[in-house]
Order: sequence, then C-alpha cells, then structure tokens
Amino acid sequence: MQPFEYAAPASVDEALALLARHGADAKVLAGGQSLVPLLNYRLARPRFVVDVNDLPLDEIRVDAGRVRLGALVRHSTLAASAVVARECPLLTEAAALIGNVRVRSLGTVGGSLAHADPAAELPLAMVALDARFELRSARGSRTVEVRDFFSGYLTTVLRPDELLTSVDAPPTRGAGTAVEEFSRRPGDFALVAVAAIVTIDRQGRVENARVAIGGIDGVPRRIPAVENALRGEPPATDRIARAAELARAEVTPQSDALASGEYRTLLAGVLTKRALARAVSRAMAVPA
Amino acid sequence: MRMIEGGHGFAGDPRAVGGVGGHIGAPHSVVGQRVVRHDARDKVQAATAYAGDWAMPGMLHGVVVRSPYPSARIRGIDTTKAAAMRGVACVLTARDVPRNTLMTDVPGQTTTVGPLRAKLHVLAEDRVRHQGEPVALVAAETLEQARDAADAVEVDYEPRPGVFDAEQALAPDAPKVHDEGNLLAHWRIARGDVDAAFAGAAVVVEGEYRTQFVDSAYLEPETGVAWIDSDGVITIRLSTQVIEHFRDVADVLDVPQNRVRVIGAYLGGGFGGKEDVTVEVYLGLLAVKTGRPVKMVWTRQESLLARAKRHPYRLRYRTAAAKTGEILAQDVELLGDSGAYAYLSALVLLYSTVTACGPYRVPAARVQARVAYTNNPPTSAMRGFGAMQTVFGYESQMDRVARALGLPPADVRKANALRRGDTLPVGQVIETHCALPELIDRAWAGLGAPTPPRAPHAKVGRGLACNLQPYGRIVWLHDWASAWVGFEMDGSLVVRCGCPDVGGGQASSLCQIAAEVLGVPIDRISVHIADSALTPLAGTTTASRQLYMSGNATLKASGELREQILGVAAKLLETSVADVDLAGGEVRAADGRTMPLRQVLAACARMGVPRSHLAVYHAPAGEPVDLTKGSGKIFPDYTFGCHAVELEVDTETGRVRLLKHVAAHDVGRAINPMSVEGQIEGGAVQGLGYAMMEEVVLEDGINLTTSFASYLIPTTVDVPDVEAIVLESGEGLGPFGARGIGEPPIGPPAAAVANAIEDATGARVTRLPMTPERVARALRLLT
Ligand SMILES: Cc1cc2nc3c(=O)[nH]c(=O)nc-3n(C[C@H](O)[C@H](O)[C@H](O)COP(=O)(O)OP(=O)(O)OC[C@H]3O[C@@H](n4cnc5c(N)ncnc54)[C@H](O)[C@@H]3O)c2cc1C
Repeated sequence: MQPFEYAAPASVDEALALLARHGADAKVLAGGQSLVPLLNYRLARPRFVVDVNDLPLDEIRVDAGRVRLGALVRHSTLAASAVVARECPLLTEAAALIGNVRVRSLGTVGGSLAHADPAAELPLAMVALDARFELRSARGSRTVEVRDFFSGYLTTVLRPDELLTSVDAPPTRGAGTAVEEFSRRPGDFALVAVAAIVTIDRQGRVENARVAIGGIDGVPRRIPAVENALRGEPPATDRIARAAELARAEVTPQSDALASGEYRTLLAGVLTKRALARAVSRAMAVPA
Repeated sequence: MRMIEGGHGFAGDPRAVGGVGGHIGAPHSVVGQRVVRHDARDKVQAATAYAGDWAMPGMLHGVVVRSPYPSARIRGIDTTKAAAMRGVACVLTARDVPRNTLMTDVPGQTTTVGPLRAKLHVLAEDRVRHQGEPVALVAAETLEQARDAADAVEVDYEPRPGVFDAEQALAPDAPKVHDEGNLLAHWRIARGDVDAAFAGAAVVVEGEYRTQFVDSAYLEPETGVAWIDSDGVITIRLSTQVIEHFRDVADVLDVPQNRVRVIGAYLGGGFGGKEDVTVEVYLGLLAVKTGRPVKMVWTRQESLLARAKRHPYRLRYRTAAAKTGEILAQDVELLGDSGAYAYLSALVLLYSTVTACGPYRVPAARVQARVAYTNNPPTSAMRGFGAMQTVFGYESQMDRVARALGLPPADVRKANALRRGDTLPVGQVIETHCALPELIDRAWAGLGAPTPPRAPHAKVGRGLACNLQPYGRIVWLHDWASAWVGFEMDGSLVVRCGCPDVGGGQASSLCQIAAEVLGVPIDRISVHIADSALTPLAGTTTASRQLYMSGNATLKASGELREQILGVAAKLLETSVADVDLAGGEVRAADGRTMPLRQVLAACARMGVPRSHLAVYHAPAGEPVDLTKGSGKIFPDYTFGCHAVELEVDTETGRVRLLKHVAAHDVGRAINPMSVEGQIEGGAVQGLGYAMMEEVVLEDGINLTTSFASYLIPTTVDVPDVEAIVLESGEGLGPFGARGIGEPPIGPPAAAVANAIEDATGARVTRLPMTPERVARALRLLT
C-alpha cells in the first residue's frame, strides 16, 4: 500500500466537494472489500481516499413503486431485509451468495456496483431487474439505466467526481425469481451466475422471462434467445431444458486459471436450466 | 473424532520404550494424555511471538528484487537510481555476496551425502532460470520505501527460450536449463522376473496419472529479522524448519560458523517449504552490510510465485494380478519436474521410487524414475516428500485391479498388505508390525450408513486408499538429535532441544516425555527450543522425524537424569535405587517415605552429581544402497494408514461434494492424542486440497496463481469433519513405541477421492486436482 491522504466526510455535499477537488487522484472507500486488496496489491494508488461510510446513504425503502437501496446498504443488511424479501426476493438471494460473512457485513451495494466485477451477484441482479442508478456530483445528479451503467470489465460510466448514491428496481411481486451460480468453493466469486425472473399467465404459460448471465463477458447481460424461446410456452421441464441449451450458443467465455471457456459454457446451460426451473416453480406457487 | 486404544494389546508393553534409557512403568501418567499444549494456549491468546511479530529499534525493511522472466540472460543491473532513493540503506547484487553459492542438498545434515550435490546462486549472476528468481536485495527505512526502490532497480534482461515441461525437457533439442543437461536424477529398482509375471497374470491394468504443482500455502509466509548482537554474532530469528542453516549463512557471508546464530520462532506452518533456506541468507547479508537490524517478510504473492513447490509427476503404471487379486508385479515409470534448481529433487524422487508399489507385497517390480530441470518454479520438500504422488498411482491401480476382477477393493488390499518380515521391492525388510488390514476395516466401517443422494442428478460413492510413509531420514544420512534435560534447584525442570516447532506440538511432546520419566508436573517444565547457539542441535523438523529423533534424545536424557537423581535419593533414604521413584515432583520410597525433590537436588550439588544430562540419539544408520540390486535398508521404518471417503458427484457439472472422511493410522503410540488427531485432520484436509482444488497454474513458466483468489486451498466449508482413528501398536522406533505421523495423513485422500468418484459414476479421473471441470471431462460432459 502506498501512503495517501484520507478524509471521512459527514455529508454527501462535503464528499462531493472533495471528489470535485481531487478528481482522478481520489478514490471512494465504502466497505473496502475490493478497494483495500487493490491498494495492497498496489493496483490502485490513489493520493486521496474519501471514506463514505459516515454518509446517510444506508436506507432501504419502497418509493414511487420501486425498491430503492442506498449505496451504503451492506450486503448482509440487504440479505436480511424483510421489505426486500417481499418486494424483490432476487436481491435477497443474490446478496446471500456474495462472498462470506465477513465480506457481506462490510461490503456495500454501491461498492459492488461501482466496482463492476463481471461475476458479481448484484450487478447481475440489477441487469435482470432493469435497475436504475442515481449518480451525484458537485455538478448535479443524473439517473442512468442499468444497460448504460456498466461499460466493460471493472468499468462503469461513473466519473471520477461522481458518487453512486442509490439504485432502484421495480418489485417482482407475482413473478418467480432465482439465482444459480457455480463457484470453485463456496464464497468465491462465481465462475458463472444466472438470474431468472419468470411470470406465468392465467393459461399457465410463460408470460415473460428475463434471464441474465454473469461471469461470461466483461459485464453481465441478458440472454434474449432463451427469454424468447420460453415466452408463451408452457413451462414444462423439457422445454426449459431446451431453452436453457440455447444459452450455450449465446456465450463465448474466456479461459483463466480457474476454468476453461468450454467449461463455463457447460455451466451456462446447466445454471440457466436450474435457475429457470426454480423461478418457474416459484412463479407457479404465486397466488393468482 | 474418537480414539481406539491399543489395537494390538501393546499398551504398557515395556518393549515400547524403544530401547533407549527406558525406566518407564505402565500405565503412563502423562504420555498418552490429552495434554493442553502450552503453545496452543499461547496461540489462542495471541501471545506467541511469531517471526513476523519481532521488531527492533532502528530496524530496516528488506525486499527481494525478483526476475519477471522464467528464462533470461542478465546483461546488466543498474542500482544507482534505487540506491539514491529516500530512505534506502543499501542495494545488493550478486557482486556484493562474499560467497554466492548456496548448497541445497540435504538441509541440516552433518555427513556427506554422496552424489547429490545441489547448489544455486544466492543472487542471480548472469542468468535467471525461473520467474521470481532473486536478483537483488534492497533495505530501506520503511517497507514502502524498500518496495519502491526494488521497483527502481534496473535489470537488463535478454529473454531466452525456456522449457516448461519435464517430458519436453528431456528431448534432445530442448533448451538446457543448466549446462550439464536437463536430466537431474535417475533411480531404478529391478526385482524379480517382471516380464514373466505379466505373462502369467490373470489381469493386467495400465494407467497413466498426472499430479500438479502445489504450494505449501502456510498461513505465515517466509519471515525473519536479523541483527548483529552485542557480541558481534550475526543473529537471525525466523520462521524455519531447520536452524542448522546457520552454517549456510556463515558460508555465504564467509565468516566462521560460530559467528552466526539462528533462532527458530514457533512457526505458522512449514510443510517442507521452510526446510530449504528462505530469508535467512538475505537477512544476514543486509544486516552485515548495514550494521542494523533488518526485517524481511515475503508477501503472499512472492511466496506463491517463487517458493519451492511440490513436484508434478507423470506416473505410468502397469500392474499384473492373479485371479485371486494377488499382485504379481508392478511396472512403474515416474517422471518429475524439478523446476529450475535441484534443491531436494533427487531425494524426493528416491522416496517415490521406494514407495512406488505401495504398502503391498510385490514379488516382481520394475521402477524407473527420473526428474528433470525445467524453467518452472523450483520444487523441493513438501509434506509427503515424493511418497505422496505415488499413492495416487498405486492406489488408483489397486482399485482398478479389484474392479477388473470383480473383487471388493478392501479385500484386494488386505490380501496383499505387507506383513512383518516381508521385503519391499527396494530390498528393505519390514521389521515392525503393519496394521493395514485392521486400518482398512476400521476406516471403511467408519463411513457408517450410506448417505442418500440429494438430487436426481447426484450420485454418491465411496472409496479408500492406503499408504506407507517413511519417518526419519534416509539411513545413510547418519541422522542424530540431541537434547538436554536439567533440574533447577527448586525442582522445576528445563528441557533444551534444537528442535523447531512447526505447529505440530513438537516442543510440548518433549515436555510430556520428560514429565513422564521424571515425575514432574508438566507445568513445572520450561522448554527452550530451536536456538543454534543455546540449545543442543536436534536436526530438521522434517521427514516426520522430530518426535522420533528429539523425542528419543529427550527420553534418553531424562532417563539418564533420573538415574542420577534416584542414585542420590536412594543414598539419602538409605535404600536401594530400585525402591525409589520420582513422582508428583518429589521422591517416593517403596515404604511410603517421601522426600522433597529440592532436598535431593541440594544434595546432588553438594555431592557433585550433575542435575542435568545431555543425550544424543543416533538413528539406525546404514550405507547407501544400490537400488538396482535391491538389497538394503533405506529408511528406519514406515507409518501405515488407510483413509475412506464418501462423496457426491453432480453429474451435470462434475462438482464433487465431500460427505465423509475417515482417516486411520497406526501411530505406534500417541504421546499426545490431540496432537496426533490434529496431524491427521490437518494432513487429510491438505490432502483433500491436493485432490480437489490446489494447483499452481503455469503458462510457459509464468505463474497465474499468485494469490489465494486463484490458488485455492480448502476452508472449513469445503471439507467434512475428518474422523481420525488412532491405532497404537506400540511398534514404532520413537519414544514409547511412537511412529512419525506428521506426513503420513496427507497421502491417501487424492486416491480415495478418485476411487470414490469411479464408484459413484463409473468415470475414472487420472489427473490432479480433480476439479469440477476435470470430473466433467471424465463424465464426458465436455469434449
Ligand atoms: C474474499 C472476498 C470474496 C468476495 N466474494 C464476492 C462474491 O462472491 N461476489 C461479489 O459480488 N463480491 C465479492 N466480493 C467483493 C465484495 O462484494 C465487495 O464488497 C464489493 O465488490 C465492493 O464493495 P465495497 O463496499 O467493499 O467497496 P469498496 O471496496 O470500498 O470499493 C470498491 C470500488 O467502488 C468504488 N466505490 C465504492 N462505493 C462507491 C460509491 N458509492 N460511489 C462511487 N464509487 C464507489 C470504490 O472507489 C472502489 O473503486 C468479495 C470480496 C472478498 C474480499
């Protein structure tokens, strides 16, 4: 780690002023679960660290028909929230799958989204949920749709002087949702993760299916081929399996020290099938 | 966890004293008890001063500059910029090293070891042969300054072609890692008529297996502090398994060996990775150059990048068996990767050669073993020491033989198990009891009722694997250990022994032995270990040898001391020596009279009878044997074990979930059952890491796994509780009949898992680690 200056502002405005002053030399510190390793490895060498942990950005609320999470909501708080479990259980499931208990009690929603690891659960869930991001700087604030937020491997449209203050997503009442992931050890980043949101119509057919996959490309993304193959179809096991097979053709993942691209492709199919199967059975259980 | 007592009714057998200074009546009062170790108390209270906890006034921080290339010529090194940086005390290169050669053949040994001379440069001169090879040293006021300066050392490298695979290294046109060629060592065993045995076999099973590079992955990386003490002695306090490296430091610094002192701190793990020299020579150089205390702590990335690994092997087996399952012959070809330097590779390969046929009677055997240099990271000692890779080979083969003949795998193993009097293919006669059949039965029964699969795509299977592991060093090394035991005037006891404690409870076990013999409560004993200047040398904490060697030395010293004290006590009580005993910190006569120990000790002082004793234990020694003639003793003795596992395979993804693990070993005698169980549990888990996930991944010599995010080790959630079954035959050569148990439990897990995967799915995995991907491949889920 290299020496840096440090400030822990008490208000958002103060934080934004510091970011405006130090720009690209500054780094925001939230839970530190990604930033501190980067500092230790000397991969990040900020001259100034703005610790945002004192900012009042840790609220979870339902507002204007959307579930809104402050950037400083911890993964463990998210996983334990009754409101979230009721309105948006995909987030509950996703949060519980992050790392281990130590990581979850410190890591934050904002940190995970700003860090934008392609295998991380929350970015994946936000892609599946069509979330919106609230970004603020001393210059003002802007709202960014999830499809525009992640711009590549570990990169987002956040500017150096901007703070992610909250993220919001529509509730998924009436739908069945599930996240399936595969990691080499429990608690590791997933090799591949799949999130599915399914609604069933009165005729018992798939009304809508949203499927997102992470760990494959630089950013998590939807798989329209699978979604389209299911829409309007009865959600029988073999149909789900066939639709899930399409996921394999839609991905060309890279190899690394932990798994080959070929194996990740296999996982894409299996996890899509399992996520859809669970989402469907939950959707069927929803009282009409 | 549970304990099974005295499997063969040897408990309390006076023979079990092992022939050294025994006066020990059964039952034992301290030996065999679940004593809470003093180091365990200290560790859980964070009171242990590990090597990295040491700090001194005016201390500098040392950093190693390492090669980014696996193979390159060094055209020049410019240190001017680095040396001029703020806070930098010195920058050293090969030119600054008085004697730039480090001998690495057999650490800690005092006798010549024949043809195995192995050496390397302390700092690279004109060539680097592996990524991470040390090229220069920096010391600075702060660690950050030292790191910055290390980055500023300018090394002009000319990359050269390298060779990254042992097979390719032996091709005639391969780039030479060393001028003398890439074949480092070659051992052979030829016994019996192998070809005739194969011709007459009912079944012949062939298999090729591959094992991987793995790291010791101790939680405490290589660490130490050096200073010039007030007497001018270069003093180095570090995490090491071998304090005798003080000699190597002296040789490199070109000072007399008595001007260097090494103090071994309690270790945060060794596993063989701290058997070779690590930081001590660099620390010595920096401390001498600057005249100031210097600390060096290798980062996790450095340790994973460049520290010696376990040898990857290619193992080829052909096994001939009769219809009954009787093994008729083994034809084995082994090829290991030594990486860029020899270190202990030739000896590791010897262990593989000797153990290649497993703990079985094999009347005809041909073993050919080679190890080659490559431009991969060096490989050297690691728990199991060459006797580990072979378990994956011979125990996969045993299951395949059983399967081919339609016989239960446990029965085939029991039928072939070594017995006292049998001869290993190398020609060594097994002189002690081999409890394999009982170990197999207990391990297998320990699995209990079968676990049903959790999902339609899941399949459950079981497997077992046995092993033999030598303990104690090769007999031609003429191994010895010494210990000093003495009473203070108040009757408290001091044990001094040069033995490093790697976390296995080495020091505490010595206290238990002394307490047993001298009747002193264990909390009245202070033990001083691992100081090359102040404790009698005891050799390396490696080769599962410390309880055996230092334990015997302590037993012998305690026994002699007991004689001395009882002689005086008998005089004072006017009775015979046979009628007095030491117990509860006092002298007790047969007629019920007692005398405070203090009084006896004062009398000893008055009469000129020493209140201490220094003893040396010499292991059975021998001369080097010609392996091809197959006539000789290689190791003092062996420890036998059997592990059984139950697991579940996800047949859609290849994921293996471990459900149960039972590990049974005959430890001869459990001095401290908790330490024994700790070794078995830890060894089994480390063996499961080898089986399932650990792998140093290299791409043309470049290490892709230099953090614990990519080098995966098992954590508590990845492994089931290991059930340790401890058998006590009393047959070992150690104190009270103990055998070594440090290394043995790491051997069997990989083969047991492979056998269980085949039991569950019919698919055989022949390559380690058995990652979900490799299992998926074996299940033909991938092309
Ligand atoms: C052992 C381990 C295992 C892990 N496993 C997983 C896993 O399985 N899945 C997973 O998703 N994650 C995992 N993580 C990462 C963890 O989820 C992190 O908490 C998360 O990625 C970052 O959140 P943080 O609050 O710790 O952010 P920090 O580390 O503090 O910051 C991360 C980055 O985001 C920036 N940042 C933080 N907050 C803001 C903000 N409000 N506005 C703008 N920029 C901001 C920082 O400047 C920095 O660049 C793991 C981490 C560890 C150490």
